Amino acid sequence: MIDFPLNEATLIATLLLAPIISSLPVAFAWLMEPKREWTRNLPIIAVFGLFISLICSLYILFNFGKLEEAVKIPFDWLPGYNISFVFIFDYLSKIMGVLTAFIAFLIGVYGLEYMKHDYRLGWYWFFFNLFTASMLLVVYSDNLLMLLIGWEGLGLASWGLIGHWFRDDDDMSFVGNVGRKIAGINYFWSPSLGAWRAISTIRIGDMPMFFAIAAIFFFAGTLNISEIHWHELAEKLGAFGIFLILFAFLLGPFTKSAQLPFSEWLMTAMTGPTTVSALLHSATMVAAGTYIFMRLSWYVEPWNIHNAGVESIYVLVLFLGLVSAFYGASVALGCLERKVLLAASTMSSLGLMFATASASKWVGEFALMVAFWYLVTHAFAKATLFLVAGHLIHETHDRFCVGGKDLAKHLRLAFLATIIATLCLSGIPPLTAYWVKSAMDEVEHSLEHEFGLIPLMLLVLTSAIYSAFLAKFLSLNFLKGDYKLKAHGGGRLMSFAYIVMGSMLILLLAIYLIDHEFHEFVEEGFLTSSLTVGLVVLTTYLIGLAKPRLESPIGKALGDRLYLAFLNDYLVPKLGWALAKLVDYGNRAIDFFCHRAIPDSFNFASKSIRKVQSGSVERYLKISVAVILLLLVVAVALGVIV
Amino acid sequence: MNFLHILLFPLLITFILPIFRARIATALSTISFLIPAFVSLYLLLTAHRGEELLMNLPAPIGDFYLLYDPISHAFGFTISLVSAMVALYSLPYMKHRFEEMGAKEGEFRKYWFLYNLYAVSMLWLVYSGNLLLLYIFLEISLLASFMLIYLYGYGNRQWVGILYFVWTHIAGVLALTGFLIVAFANQTLALNELKVIGFIPWLLIFLGMVVKLPGLGPHIWLPWAHAEAPTPVSALLSPLTVGLAGYVLLRIYLIDSSFIVQFREIIIFYAIISSIYAGLSVFKQRDYKRLLAYSTVSQMGYVLIAICLGSYGLIGLVIQYMSHAFGKAILFMTAGAIIATFHGLRNLDKMKGMHEFVPTISNAALLGFMTLSGIITIGMFAEFFILLGLTQIYGFNLQIISLVVLVFIISGLYSFYTMKEIYYGTPMAYEKPKFSRLLDLPLYAIALFSVAFIFPPLAPALLDGIKLALGGVMP
Repeated sequence: MIDFPLNEATLIATLLLAPIISSLPVAFAWLMEPKREWTRNLPIIAVFGLFISLICSLYILFNFGKLEEAVKIPFDWLPGYNISFVFIFDYLSKIMGVLTAFIAFLIGVYGLEYMKHDYRLGWYWFFFNLFTASMLLVVYSDNLLMLLIGWEGLGLASWGLIGHWFRDDDDMSFVGNVGRKIAGINYFWSPSLGAWRAISTIRIGDMPMFFAIAAIFFFAGTLNISEIHWHELAEKLGAFGIFLILFAFLLGPFTKSAQLPFSEWLMTAMTGPTTVSALLHSATMVAAGTYIFMRLSWYVEPWNIHNAGVESIYVLVLFLGLVSAFYGASVALGCLERKVLLAASTMSSLGLMFATASASKWVGEFALMVAFWYLVTHAFAKATLFLVAGHLIHETHDRFCVGGKDLAKHLRLAFLATIIATLCLSGIPPLTAYWVKSAMDEVEHSLEHEFGLIPLMLLVLTSAIYSAFLAKFLSLNFLKGDYKLKAHGGGRLMSFAYIVMGSMLILLLAIYLIDHEFHEFVEEGFLTSSLTVGLVVLTTYLIGLAKPRLESPIGKALGDRLYLAFLNDYLVPKLGWALAKLVDYGNRAIDFFCHRAIPDSFNFASKSIRKVQSGSVERYLKISVAVILLLLVVAVALGVIV
Repeated sequence: MNFLHILLFPLLITFILPIFRARIATALSTISFLIPAFVSLYLLLTAHRGEELLMNLPAPIGDFYLLYDPISHAFGFTISLVSAMVALYSLPYMKHRFEEMGAKEGEFRKYWFLYNLYAVSMLWLVYSGNLLLLYIFLEISLLASFMLIYLYGYGNRQWVGILYFVWTHIAGVLALTGFLIVAFANQTLALNELKVIGFIPWLLIFLGMVVKLPGLGPHIWLPWAHAEAPTPVSALLSPLTVGLAGYVLLRIYLIDSSFIVQFREIIIFYAIISSIYAGLSVFKQRDYKRLLAYSTVSQMGYVLIAICLGSYGLIGLVIQYMSHAFGKAILFMTAGAIIATFHGLRNLDKMKGMHEFVPTISNAALLGFMTLSGIITIGMFAEFFILLGLTQIYGFNLQIISLVVLVFIISGLYSFYTMKEIYYGTPMAYEKPKFSRLLDLPLYAIALFSVAFIFPPLAPALLDGIKLALGGVMP
């Protein structure tokens, strides 16, 4: 037994609640009318709350046994139903927790300066911290229902943050060229629209996922990922059953992680403040999708299950991931908006993570390790790039990639951070991502037996494009873009944040090279094939650096994301509105029938009857005689029959 | 002191309320519901069960008694909490309404009597252990709410009032006929002695409750009544009253489930279609209150779905009632707050970026919609148990699964679509108003419970209690 100096319950409560509680002062103070200047200092408390979470996550990393050891901590929730809050500290969650808390804290620090003059600080910090807390809950939970609380929290917080500038009055917060139309559809998106697109897409994935969770509970009798006997479950449910459950479950991660065809929301999520994009793209939200897939695979152990249903799912994820990765990279290549470019690149990376993690079906746990460490590398690099992008937007007042050498001179640190991040992320030997990517090459290569060389080819192609647009990002923003410098002051805190973030990549490189755990990564890196891929990547990087702009219709189409926006903005709404119109006609018809036709016909009937009642005796006599005669006739007729 | 006294308290208060001035009456009314709210919550937490005889009546009526079990307490708590909060909210709102109508402050005397009578009759309804007693309270609640609509409603309020009256009485008469057949067949109407509900009475009661709930077709009365009622009344009608049809069905089901089991397929398809239909209708509404009314129809579809899904479904039904009550009460009050502060503003075309002017109302609306769509609120459990029941009864029936999932998706979509339409976007030219705290604080009190019910100690107490009341063992 390990002796905990800190009570576990207190530790976990502090970890999850510190961010939320610490954001309350600014959230409430901001509701006061009139606003006071001192309330603008309250976000420091919120950031301090994030810092406490970071300490807690570090404590969890070091104090719960060895890194590989899984420690589970249950608390009563619904004992009558065998559902408990179960926190799990295992290899994945220990590292992911620290990653989340660390990145959130650094971005928090950055946000102190970036959001200083914002008009909605209470809202921002509350949801920012809720975002972090939700992610931490997702990371550490073993229970699927508890995970869902965090999962929905992520969706809600992202909605709140993407639509942060809900007034839609600042062109700087839009995505796309304001006023542009394609085929009658607005091809630009405001924050409120971005928020709606995000939450509506996520909802479409979350509900099937919820069904899958309920079904898993019903058939497995437990909701704890690590305790479900996946092997038996698969046998019990048969190929179709397990396929259906896993597919429904993965729709959640697919939508959250913006895989095709659910990618559009991620691109327009750039209407939120840059800090939000940075957090959303590195360690929360979109990473949550891939993380959950890895966590699930970790315990499903698909390499041990021989079931057609499970296999089909992993094939599906593999190709969906690769295709999404390729699509994302191509789009990023054509993109000229700083943040949208980075968003598309994230989608691409997420695709690679999915694809690599799904290869575990054939390769084993190693594939999960590769996917996970790629997630970590990507998180630091992408957060750095976003933070730089935010600083650039502040400086240049432009969402598009502009900036020349004088900007690089002016913002030396930003320039430096971008160089580090792009070099380290694209997989140029011998920098950080190279070792992970080499292992990834190997993983995809070992699928040759099942799928030929297609996975590997797609991966290499994606990597090559990926490095090209990263170079383009660097080049257009600091070297070859057109921009006349207007001097701005400040930015120290922001620079601090992204420099620290960027230097984590160097630290990570050192870990990969020194730590014995990663010897396989390093060995793969020294293979000739990996080196060749590395050289290809380097070449495309240099090309991108030298020639960042290339006018072509293909590039334009890619920059417009191959018009996938029509799915979200035209096809689905068109269908929805047609149905809504139909039911509206239905409602009108029923309304008319019940509240007009029936009362009116009663009126009519009563009027006709009343007409008879005229008051003239002669008429009454006639009617009486007629009735009597009629009765007589009937009686006679009946008598005849009888 | 037993629970009967607690229940008698708001009833007695009802009759002395007209003596007091508006402010004191508000406080009294609120307290008279807060006490049963907290006592029933306590009894829910302690899984209290029991019966209390009121009077012996000859056959075919049977004993009038009060029935206490966690299901009653769950409903009772919801009703009294919402009634108490809406009572607080009534003060500023009705003040505005009376000014608008040109009525004097004295009008409050009538209002408070009717309001309390309406709410207390619903409270008694869920504790009634006899179908006739239940029907009596159903009738009182209908009359009181009819009066409230007729006197203080919007638009063509007399017409709407009569429309409401006719429809609810169609429901009432159908149910009463059903009850009477049951009475003559069993020689009793006491719930603890009833054994069999034949096909015909089941059908009549079911049809009556479908009109009241309402399902697709009869649903057409609801948008009129709920949109044109004065908002505090809407905030009871929609969250509490219509859902009671679900309560009645649940009680009948617990006696004899044959009808539902036999016609499960038809009922669940009808319920799903009606929920999807109403959910889609929400998108076309340009009147805030009408929009919410359609959302009620959609949410009541959940109730009808839940009753087809075995014992997990029944748990889902109870939680769905609570979650819908919390969420919809909050939402109607947000609509009312905008009406009261912006002089009758309820047209969505004239609302954009309202968050700018009424941030607290907007945040409350967010909490309300979160409750409806089951995001980090009690609604999550409702969806969870409905989905569990679905798996239990239908296994991997793709058709039904995808339809129910679609129902849930649509709820989330219209929720956030409405948020965008009303509270987000470029603000229109309004002034930031000053308004009474009573127009926003009660909303947060309800929201607090909505969130608290997913965590211990409330969640396990509620869920274990319902399980106990349903017979303990989950199949």
